[in-house]
Order: sequence, then structure tokens, then C-alpha cells
Amino acid sequence: MRGVTRPNPGAPGAPVIPIKAVPAATGGDAEQGLFEVRRKIYPRSVTGWFATWRWALVWFTQILFYGLPWAAWNDRQAVLFDLGARKFYIFGLVFWPQDFIYLTLLLVIAAISLFLFTAVAGRLWCGYACPQTVYTEIFLWIERVIEGDHNARAKLDASPLTGRKFGLKAAKHGAWAALAFWTGFTFVGYFTPIKMLGGEVLSFSLGPWETFWIFFYGFATYGNAGWMREQVCKYMCPYARFQGAMFDGDTLIIAYDQHRGDPRGSRGKKADPKALGLGDCVDCGICVQVCPTGIDIRDGLQYECIGCAACIDGCDQVMEKMGYSKGLIRYSTEHALRENLGLVGIVSRFVRPRTLAYTAILATVVVAAATALLMRVPLKVDVIRDRGAMVREVEDGELENVYRLQVMNATESAHRYRITVEGLPGIRVASEPVIDMAAASTRAFPVRIRLPGAQSSGGSQKIFIGVTAEDGSGIQVREKAVFLSPRKDGNRAP
Amino acid sequence: MLTQRIAWILWPAFLVACAIEVVFFTLFDPADMQLLGEPLEASRMAIYSVGFFVFWALGAASSFLTCFLQRSPWEVNRCPLPATQRPDGCPKREGPCC
Ligand code: SF4
Ligand code: SF4
Repeated sequence: MRGVTRPNPGAPGAPVIPIKAVPAATGGDAEQGLFEVRRKIYPRSVTGWFATWRWALVWFTQILFYGLPWAAWNDRQAVLFDLGARKFYIFGLVFWPQDFIYLTLLLVIAAISLFLFTAVAGRLWCGYACPQTVYTEIFLWIERVIEGDHNARAKLDASPLTGRKFGLKAAKHGAWAALAFWTGFTFVGYFTPIKMLGGEVLSFSLGPWETFWIFFYGFATYGNAGWMREQVCKYMCPYARFQGAMFDGDTLIIAYDQHRGDPRGSRGKKADPKALGLGDCVDCGICVQVCPTGIDIRDGLQYECIGCAACIDGCDQVMEKMGYSKGLIRYSTEHALRENLGLVGIVSRFVRPRTLAYTAILATVVVAAATALLMRVPLKVDVIRDRGAMVREVEDGELENVYRLQVMNATESAHRYRITVEGLPGIRVASEPVIDMAAASTRAFPVRIRLPGAQSSGGSQKIFIGVTAEDGSGIQVREKAVFLSPRKDGNRAP
Repeated sequence: MLTQRIAWILWPAFLVACAIEVVFFTLFDPADMQLLGEPLEASRMAIYSVGFFVFWALGAASSFLTCFLQRSPWEVNRCPLPATQRPDGCPKREGPCC
């Protein structure tokens, strides 16, 4: 693991610069972190173009997450993974365990999309959409509102316990816990109808497992976003470890322009850096102070960098105040930095064998999944032979086979179906051919099928059992089955 | 060091348990399961939940063995130095007195 040394921006004797140099996170004692001695990070809050985007995505993803379970569809929860009944409702669709393939396809699509995005634009997911980033952002905001900015927080942590400190800490943890509980509640609300769940919470009649999972998920949120924060990204996230495999020289990364910035050094606003032999970096350390993972992006690309772009916003403000052009730290590619390519150069290299390959695979899987979903018949039939009696001779010399039909009505309305059989002359359904099924239900029906003895050629013969909806909706399934007859040489079928 | 070891054992096992939970219970319905020939009495929710912890425990057992077996000879061998003469910072060092 790479240790990163912080520059010391508050070095004594630094000449006045318009940015107030603040020593990076000094207050906290090194605490024993999960995996190595960890110095608590107090990220300085930052505003700017990318911070606005980050917050926009926080709002978008969280309105979706907290809001979706409350949406209704056909008098039921629009998105409900009803584990108890083993049915997944997603708007107009009902999925059963038999539809496993769609879940697999969805996961494959998600994985390849992630590969594609990573190859083109680096860790966009980490910086903007990952729940870990999003909840850390929200928890940090709560912390800032209650305890003050990064300096105030570091000071507070270093100070002895007073009534005020206790009050602030209690308020913060209380707010965190409330949000975490709501998050756990929402999470479980995807699996148990949320309105019912809400009623149970209010009347203190939650089931034991629901209670358990609400607190489990809530506790995970509280721990990950409140305490672990960047350590999750650094040490626990598998994606952070393998994302490098999708990177190449043309992947967008957050980079410090060393040619432009070095040699670093503080100077007055009026000073001419050229005359002082300095680059554009005023060595103010803002980029380090805003970094949620506590690294110095000026050391180059590091796996700890989650691509949140906070350092871009931070540095741009400095550049603006100094009257330099923005973008000393910016989205760029290794290639572009080396060869001084502009935006056009960067974008034109988005198209390259790696991205084309990912796109081709992604397109194929998406088309396959969409086709499969469109052609999906909301009726499933399994034909199981009755093992007890293979074949029976009944009145009028007819031969009878008995089957069990496992029928699943995967639509959300009740249906009447007709059972038919074909494949041999004179073959017919001798039991009740019309069946009624409730919405989204499964049932088994015994079906007796008869064949005139004269039509039998002996042994096993292929037949087709059809189930067709009677309402003209075109829902129809045809399943292959085997009809057994006694051998013609007089021996009985086995 | 102990916290780190615990995290190394529990965390990968948790990730694997999540994946197995989804695959296993998609393929098998708890309502159809039997325990020593008797149908399980518990609700599906309970079986899903217990199943998750069983998977987690199995994964953790495997991670535990990995951690246990990957210790270097220096960690396994007994230290040749008497406890009082071990270098500073050694967790098994004892003070010169008693
Ligand atoms: S890169 Fe920008 S923010 Fe970072 S120290 Fe230099 S001038 Fe300051
Ligand atoms: S280096 Fe910049 S982009 Fe990377 S994590 Fe730190 S602040 Fe975010």
C-alpha cells in the first residue's frame, strides 16, 4: 500500500497568498483504522461545477431509492421483490424464479456497462453514483451542519469532552442514526410491502426478521458512511482493485498537469511566476484538503483516487483567485497529458479497440435480453408424467395416460385456459379441458389423455399438450410430452 | 492487527455470501426443502435469513483457514529469544521484571 506524504502548506514564512493556507488535517490522533494506522481525514468542503454535479446525482439516486418503494402500480407496490411469495414485481412485469435468466442478463449488462464506462471515463461510478460515495457525502454534510467546517471538526475532536462537545456529538450521531434507520427501512421496503411495513413500525409490531434486516442495513449504512468512509474504497471494495485492468492511456482520469504546475511554490498574486522560476501550482494544499481519501493527486494517478473531482473544483477556485487559467487539475488522459492533446484529441480516442469490443458485447447482450423479454409468454407449463400408472386400458379399447400439468399464470389478471392435445390421430383430453387460474398464481392439474387403441403403434409416441388462454389474448404454450402404449407384440409397456 | 485479521476473514465471506444467497435461493425454494426428511417449519423469510448467515459462516471458515495457513514461518515458530529480551514493539515481549 502506498503511503502518501502530505505537503505542509502551512510552512512558516510562506509569503502572503490570497488563499489562506490551512494546515491539512492536523488535529486528529492517528487512530487504528481497519487495515493500517489511519489518520482521520477531515475533508474540506468544496463548491464548484463538479460538486454541483455530485450533489445532483446524490439527489437523483436518493429520490429514486427512497421514493421508488412508495410508487404504486395496479393497486400494488410498483417495485416489490416479494421474497416471501417468490415473485418480483417491476412495474407491469411479474418475475418468478423461473425467470432467473433475466436477472443473470441484467447483471451481465450491468457488469459490461461498468467495464465500458470505466474504460472511457475512469471511475465515474465511484465519484458520482456509488452508494458509498453518496452516503458519505450526505453524512459529511450532516457533520458539517452540526459540527462546523473541517477545521472546527478537527479542533472539536482534539478538545476534551465538554457539555458542548457531547451535545454536538450526540446530535450528529442521532441525525446519522435516524437517516440510517430510514435507509434500512426503505431497503426492507423493497422486499416487504412498504406501507404495511410502515404500519408495523408505527404500531411496534414488526416481525423479527424485518426488524433484524432494518437494523442490519441501517447499521451498515451508519458504519460505512459515518465511520469507515474512504477505508471502504481503499481496502474493501473489489472494484477499486480491478478497475485498473480496464484503464489504458486514453481513459479519462483526474490528473494534475505537472508540466504546467511544477516547480511548485507559493508567491504573491502580483508576482510573475516565470521570473520566480515557478509553475502554476501555488502549493496551497487545497487539493489535498478537499480530498475525501486524503491523497495528493499531484503525486500522479493512485488507486485510492475515487475520481470525485473535488480537487478539480478546489484548484480551479485557487487558479481563479490567482488570475491563472483553470484546469491545472482536470479530467484528462495519460496520452493527452504527454502529448498535450486538447478536448478533441481526447474525445476522438474514446473510440478504440477496447471500447469497441465492450460496446459490441454490451449491444449484443442488450438486444438478446430485450428480445427475450419481448417474446416472453406470461404462461408457463410443465408436463410431468404420472409415475404411478404408465398406461391404462379403459372402456371402448381406449388407452389412457395421466399427466400432471404445472401451470403458472404470470400475468396480473385471472385467466381461463383450455388444454388441448395433438400429435396423434384421435387423441383427446378426457379430463376437464377448461381450467381457471387466479392472477399471478401457480397450480397443478391432473390431465387424462386418451388415444383410441387402433391408433396406437405401441411403445412411446410424441404428443403435444397445448394450453391456450380463452380470452383471445394470444397467450399460448405448447409442450412436448410422451404417450405410452402397450407394445403391439402383446407385451405390456413397461 | 487482530481487527485487521477479523476484517480479512469476515469481509470477503460477506461478499461471497451475498452472491451465493441470490443464486441458491433463486434455484431452490425454502418451502420445498427438507431437514433430515422433515419439511422445514420456518417461514421463507427465516430460512433466507438463516441461510445467509450459514453461507457467511462457511465463507468465514474458509477465510479463517486461509489466514491461518498463510502465516509466515516467523509467525509460526517459537521465538528463540526469552520473552524479556525480545525487541521493542514485539507483542510477546515482556518487561524485564516479573
Ligand atoms: S494543485 Fe492547485 S490546489 Fe493543489 S496545491 Fe497546487 S494550486 Fe493548490
Ligand atoms: S484525488 Fe481528487 S478526484 Fe481523487 S479522490 Fe482525491 S479529491 Fe477526489
